[in-house]
Amino acid sequence: MVSVLDWGGFIAANFDRLLLATRQHLSIALTAVVLGTSVAVPLGIYLTRREGLARIVLAVTGIIQTIPSLAFFGLTIPFLGLGVLPATLVLFLYSILPILRNTYTGIKEVDPALIEAGKGMGMDSVELLLMVELPIALPLILAGVRISTMYIVSWTTVAAMIGAGGLGTLVLGGIAVYDARLIVLGVVPAATLALLAGRVIIWLEKRLTPRGLLRDGQVA
Amino acid sequence: MLRFEQVTKIYSGQRVVDCLDLEVKKGEFLVLIGPSGCGKTTTLKMINRLIEPSEGKIYMNGTDISRLDPVQLRRQIGYVIQQVGLFPNMTIQQNVDVVLRLLKRPLQERQERVRELLAMVGMDPALYAERYPNELSGGQQQRIGVLRALAADPPLILMDEPFGALDPITRESLQDEFKRLQEKLHKTIVFVTHDMDEALKLADRIVLMKDGRIVQAGPPEELLRHPANDFVAFFFGKKRKENEIYLETVDEVMNPAPVTIRPEQGVAEGVELMRRRHVDSLFVVDKEERFLGQVTIESLNREHLRAHQIIELLDTNVPTVLAGSKAETAFRIMTEQRLKYVPVVDTEGRLVGLVTRTSMVNALASVVWGDGISA
Repeated sequence: MVSVLDWGGFIAANFDRLLLATRQHLSIALTAVVLGTSVAVPLGIYLTRREGLARIVLAVTGIIQTIPSLAFFGLTIPFLGLGVLPATLVLFLYSILPILRNTYTGIKEVDPALIEAGKGMGMDSVELLLMVELPIALPLILAGVRISTMYIVSWTTVAAMIGAGGLGTLVLGGIAVYDARLIVLGVVPAATLALLAGRVIIWLEKRLTPRGLLRDGQVA
Repeated sequence: MLRFEQVTKIYSGQRVVDCLDLEVKKGEFLVLIGPSGCGKTTTLKMINRLIEPSEGKIYMNGTDISRLDPVQLRRQIGYVIQQVGLFPNMTIQQNVDVVLRLLKRPLQERQERVRELLAMVGMDPALYAERYPNELSGGQQQRIGVLRALAADPPLILMDEPFGALDPITRESLQDEFKRLQEKLHKTIVFVTHDMDEALKLADRIVLMKDGRIVQAGPPEELLRHPANDFVAFFFGKKRKENEIYLETVDEVMNPAPVTIRPEQGVAEGVELMRRRHVDSLFVVDKEERFLGQVTIESLNREHLRAHQIIELLDTNVPTVLAGSKAETAFRIMTEQRLKYVPVVDTEGRLVGLVTRTSMVNALASVVWGDGISA
């Protein structure tokens, strides 16, 4: 096996590469998730007002989700070619479903008594959304963002296959030259990033959830 | 204040509310009651347009409410629902002042109003304003639900079985509290319930509904005494008899053997007697059993070091009733003067018994449920 000393030297030798890959990785993943969230949340809200459409859209996004990411990346090549753009696009599409579904469910599951109370008090539909529905659905929406983020950060590794860069390039490089160290150098930071991103969002969930919605200090 | 004209609501071919004509006067406490499915809740919700009538018009202060913006209309009408419906994401302050916020009132005014309202129901604002609904008991939550409806000081308040989900004791205390509040505030209230006792207790006027129609409307007394038909009589059940039954005399409800003591007996003896008989007051009588007054645990406790004889602690200022008088008389004295008991004396001034709160409860129970259960 490789010794610790070897590892130190190896990392030092590849440090610039690692840094660049991590930066690319994060930028692709974050772009995808941010775009995904900004589409999925409004769309989810909209769908709660359109029952029929909701069923269709949730079914379609559900199907997208089942396409293996590798196949999906491959499918985009004829249309968008290689590089960051198609990779981000695919990951963006992947990121939508968990957030969309959680936003939709979160708002749908708000106690009808609260909706009636809000309407009865004289809230219009925007006020009802901003004062009641969204705040109550927020923990669930954020949980969706967390799931999405963690998946996307780890799937970004696959994006290297269509030349998007990121930590996946180290893995691919490692496979190409039979260097296990290079694979580990790509995989470990990718996994760590995914976990870190999850932690950050859990922290956000705790910060943003009103005390009244917490049960036993847990995020619902 | 409110007028229904030939209002009908049809759900899938069924006339849930059928050609309803109804007027609610300003300051009136109107209770809509009836079996489930009688249309009472639908009637209520048509007032704030959570439900729109299929036919007919509703006027508020002469204005056809279908011409008003529903959102604006609702902000002028208080609304309390059975499930309470406090917003879990908001503090008590935010819950109570929600309508004021919708009306864009300044923060300071809102805070003052919430303080005022909380104080009105005996909840310390410093303690409760920043709490969340899930940190309150069910009874406290519905108190807040009521305050929320009062916050913008609307002249009209709609209440949809507001106390229905509470346990009986909490329900009763909230009813009392709300009744007191209403006596101060003089709101116009439309209140839906299926609980007869609640209706009798709170209503100025009861509207009994069945199959979307009004069966009878009138003050509680009138519905009890002159039910329009068998349905009304049946609905009010045994309660109807309450007003016809002749309440017994004090002799029938009193405890015939109160714990007595002589004025010349010692204070220590008095304390011992109280301990043995588990009572907190003793009735002082002379040798001929004539009633002189009472000694209470409070005075014994206060004065036992100073006093030696019972006579030194004698409280002679005790209202009594004459044997043979109506039980009602004794009950009235107790209720009005907030007494726990009234001694019964005969024409010679002899102590013959004691009417207590227990006697009162038993007497009333026998009226309400018949003699079977009372003893």
